[in-house]
Amino acid sequence: MADIKITNLHKEFGVGVDKVVALENVNLELGGHVFVSIVGPSGCGKSTLLNILSGIDTPTSGSMTITQEGAKAAPGYVFQAARLLPWRTVMDNLLFVQSDKSDETRVRCQKYLDMVQLGDKGNKYPGELSGGMQQRVGIARAFSIEPDVMFMDEPFSHLDAITARSLRRELHSMWAETGKTIVFVTHDVGEAVELSNRILVFAKGGRLEDDINVELEFPRDPSDEAVAVAKANVLRKFEELDLVAS
Amino acid sequence: MTDLAVQPSNQTSKVSAKGGAARKKQKPFVVRVLKSPTFARGLFLPAVLVFWLISNKMIEDSWDFDSSVLATPREVWDFMYAEISGDTVAPNNLYQTFGISLRRLGIGWVVSMIAGTAIGLGMGLSKAVNAFFHDWVMALLAMPALAWALFLSLILGFGDTGPVWAVVLAGIPFVIVNVREGVRSTPTDLFDMSTAFAVPRSKQIRHVLLPSLFPFLFAAARYALSIGWKGLVLIELFGGQDGAGWTFKFWYDAHRLHGVIGYSMFFVIFALVVENLILEPISRRVFKWRPRLDAPELVEEDIDTNLEKPNRPAPARSDVAGTI
Repeated sequence: MADIKITNLHKEFGVGVDKVVALENVNLELGGHVFVSIVGPSGCGKSTLLNILSGIDTPTSGSMTITQEGAKAAPGYVFQAARLLPWRTVMDNLLFVQSDKSDETRVRCQKYLDMVQLGDKGNKYPGELSGGMQQRVGIARAFSIEPDVMFMDEPFSHLDAITARSLRRELHSMWAETGKTIVFVTHDVGEAVELSNRILVFAKGGRLEDDINVELEFPRDPSDEAVAVAKANVLRKFEELDLVAS
Repeated sequence: MTDLAVQPSNQTSKVSAKGGAARKKQKPFVVRVLKSPTFARGLFLPAVLVFWLISNKMIEDSWDFDSSVLATPREVWDFMYAEISGDTVAPNNLYQTFGISLRRLGIGWVVSMIAGTAIGLGMGLSKAVNAFFHDWVMALLAMPALAWALFLSLILGFGDTGPVWAVVLAGIPFVIVNVREGVRSTPTDLFDMSTAFAVPRSKQIRHVLLPSLFPFLFAAARYALSIGWKGLVLIELFGGQDGAGWTFKFWYDAHRLHGVIGYSMFFVIFALVVENLILEPISRRVFKWRPRLDAPELVEEDIDTNLEKPNRPAPARSDVAGTI
């Protein structure tokens, strides 16, 4: 189990008249077996928050702590594009983020490749795979380090609708099976409602405006009336908060 | 109110059993051979020989010219065969000559690669280093190899030092520029990924930075080799007492056109051997991860495209109709 605690997290880019506030004093606590989606308009600081949480970026002020059980090195991260090393095979891409290359580690990597149905593609190079398959390798890579916390930044936004839906199914079953804390950034409210049990709504200027619990049974199907109503409610919240682009 | 329901169409497209591809008749074997790239490539040499012989004949017929000055393909071939056999009137035979030049080229190339890579890395990583070297590198790029040949011959005289410096000075600006651009275009998204997964810095350098520099280093190595070779031949020609360039001039001074053409052919053969037997196999091995241009389009495999509800009965058609 993991705990994420964010206190007065603030991030600014630029100085003087060019100063842009990306995150405005965000306070948040997450933990346990939870799937949290962060939604909001473009430029509301969704990806900046993940980048700070993962150590890619640093905050201007404030603090955050991620507590994981055991000696886990880092949280997992699935990016918008797969970000695989093109000169390494699929298996080597998974091994690249591991702390060792022991037989046990290889077996674990193979297990997660099997989970994303790419068990027979370990010796292929990323350039030999389609975009959807590369993204599945990215998901397997993040799960293969077996973190308690997983960050995902619009991982399906570049994919076609059928592949994205199939991967959402796989992701949900992997989350259900592994019991991780997943923080998932998306601009697709439907995707957030389908996958999450908590939705954080961010507004322009990086303000956390709302924290919505989605109490629907899994698995959820977008064509279900309850899911459609939940999606409509979140979108209504967007309108109330004046987040919809004019 | 706009009706968005999609009506099923009763119309069906008629597809002829004789499809476009099936109807296309295969061309006769002879036509296919004549149009093939392999045949076109093989045709080049005979075409050059025919053009050569016709040109010789036309010059002899139309111009009061000592035809013995013109070299025939046969004379050139005999000259090359004699050189390959070690039978020559030049001070050094073909193998000694190329051995001398290749030693100079090898030393100069290694120096230009090491120094050029170090300076290129510095220029790519530091604005101050880039500002310091920028104008010098541009000046080196603009300097013709002929100028180096004359300058180095004058100050260093005959021997190995001048030719080695010529190779270094001709090749190093290309190495610097390529490595600098390589550093500038390193994939920051891959470094961010490595940072997010807490990959140690040394591992990032070995597995992300260096492989991303390989294409630029390889291009630099190729440039430095070819430009360095041209510079070397020039300085040997003007200020040498041995080597390939000097021997080329030896045949020129002896007014033996077949010798000049024959040595030019050796240069061509040398370039083809280096490219096809050394550089191309290394390139194929180092860059085997690059997708082939003629690779078939990639498609999703093994994806579960069953989009019905999991573990639930599919809804009746009437339940979903008219929801658009």
